[in-house]
Amino acid sequence: MWSAGSKSLYFPPLESIVKALWTQWVTGPARAEFASSLEHLAVGYAIAAALGIGFGAALWSLRYAREATSPYLYFLYVLPAPVLVPAALTLFGIGFTMKVVLIAFAAMWPTLLNTLDGMRGVDAVKLDTSKVLGLPRWRNLLQVVLPAAGPQIVAGLRNSLQVAIILMVVSEWEASTDGIGYYIVNAQQSFDYVGMWSGIIVLAIIGIVANLLFVVAENRALHWYYGARAVEGVSR
Amino acid sequence: MTVTRFALWYALRPWLLRLGVLAAALGLWQGLSAAGVIRSDEFPSMTQTASALWDQAKTATLWTAIGQTLQGWAIGLAIGAAAALVIGTLIALNSFAYNSVIGVIEFFKAIPVIAILPIGLVLWGATLTMKFALVAFAVFWPLAIQVCYGVRSVDPVVRDTASVLRLRGPRKFALVIMPSAAPFIATGLRVAVAVALIVDIIAELIGGGSGVGERILLAENAGPSVYPIMYAYIVVAGVLGVLLAGAFTLAERYVLRWHESQRSAAGERLKTYPERTEVTLAVSLSAGCWPGAHPGVAVRGAFGRVVGVVGRLEIAVLPAA
Repeated sequence: MWSAGSKSLYFPPLESIVKALWTQWVTGPARAEFASSLEHLAVGYAIAAALGIGFGAALWSLRYAREATSPYLYFLYVLPAPVLVPAALTLFGIGFTMKVVLIAFAAMWPTLLNTLDGMRGVDAVKLDTSKVLGLPRWRNLLQVVLPAAGPQIVAGLRNSLQVAIILMVVSEWEASTDGIGYYIVNAQQSFDYVGMWSGIIVLAIIGIVANLLFVVAENRALHWYYGARAVEGVSR
Repeated sequence: MTVTRFALWYALRPWLLRLGVLAAALGLWQGLSAAGVIRSDEFPSMTQTASALWDQAKTATLWTAIGQTLQGWAIGLAIGAAAALVIGTLIALNSFAYNSVIGVIEFFKAIPVIAILPIGLVLWGATLTMKFALVAFAVFWPLAIQVCYGVRSVDPVVRDTASVLRLRGPRKFALVIMPSAAPFIATGLRVAVAVALIVDIIAELIGGGSGVGERILLAENAGPSVYPIMYAYIVVAGVLGVLLAGAFTLAERYVLRWHESQRSAAGERLKTYPERTEVTLAVSLSAGCWPGAHPGVAVRGAFGRVVGVVGRLEIAVLPAA
């Protein structure tokens, strides 16, 4: 796709992009954008994960609340979150809070719905057993329900991560003075296509590395589950 | 209360609760605006938004915008899904191809589509082509993986039977592979339907392609006086998402009505309250490690769950789960 001597304006030669990656992102001024983007992502995602699992578990135990809110949860889940950027902007202004709120709000729903689904799917016999054995409520939640719902919660967390990355860029792009999204839109508008490509590659790297880290964490957290599945002879 | 009336109540109660929640949420929104907790120049009241939505619905602008959004969504989804179906199947049918390509697909899948948006913008500008190209790109990778998994999950017995019967080419594809892979593909498509809409709206909101997203951006830029219109379009985007996802679920239910997963789900839907009685006997091997741990019996019945503990004669009646 790329030749070293590419003359195309839109597809600059790879070597100059790599050079820009080094001078801008590794040693140069764009390091600050990188750091602030990751900060928004990390804080927003952590809040989203905590709220998603927390509210999911709460709704699981409160049956009436679950029945009453389920269509609205779904509405918020399919609502294309980027449309909320202008609204968040008018409410929170440009800044750290706006981005974190936006990421947390948008990325919360996949985790919440998966937590709820996973917990509802827990084998009734297990719940009865723990009830009969008189397990305290918190112990039931920690030792019976959470492990059983674990695989699905993790699937939700993974979806949330992807949503969080998208929202990180969208919020920086639309309304920001820092971050990778801001860097890319700035480069694009000033016809600095080399800079734009370097930003795109940085984004791709973030997406891929985040995904890899997630898989590693998942394998550590759920090794008992895959182990059990392997014993049963079910390939994953 | 007779059983029929109980069943009716059981079926209606969630919907009554839901209407109540909707009314309460809209009332709270209106109340907070009226009381001045939410400043009207930052966040319009519920009635302002509703009337803006009504005004928009009377003009052609709203419907054109919805049409443009649906256009990008449909073309992009069709291209991405068709490509994923064909390429995914071809890759999955050959182990060598599968093993060499699946890593590359996983790699591309992990790239956030937002990273591709600037490329689409410089190549095509704020056009329909830009919108559906992005949608197709976003939909292709995850769906191709799903198609691969589906095609590779064909039951070995079914596959061997097909070879014995010498089924080949298109017939094997239509009669053996597709039926097995269909539920996987359906799951992938369900996600793709939502992702396609999100990407399409991002392309409008940020890239400036025409549609609902562009309307939101224009209303935002026009300032506080048209914020009701902005929120009206945000509501429209959400409703559009729910409608598309709902339509897909209905279509899936119809197309896959023969499949085990849909048949059991249909059974679940018909069953308005639990009818089986289940008995669980639990014996703790580590009795004594927390208070009240003794062998016991749980009975899960029609209208409630009864948990009895042997040896202690404790009985608790709990509502059905």
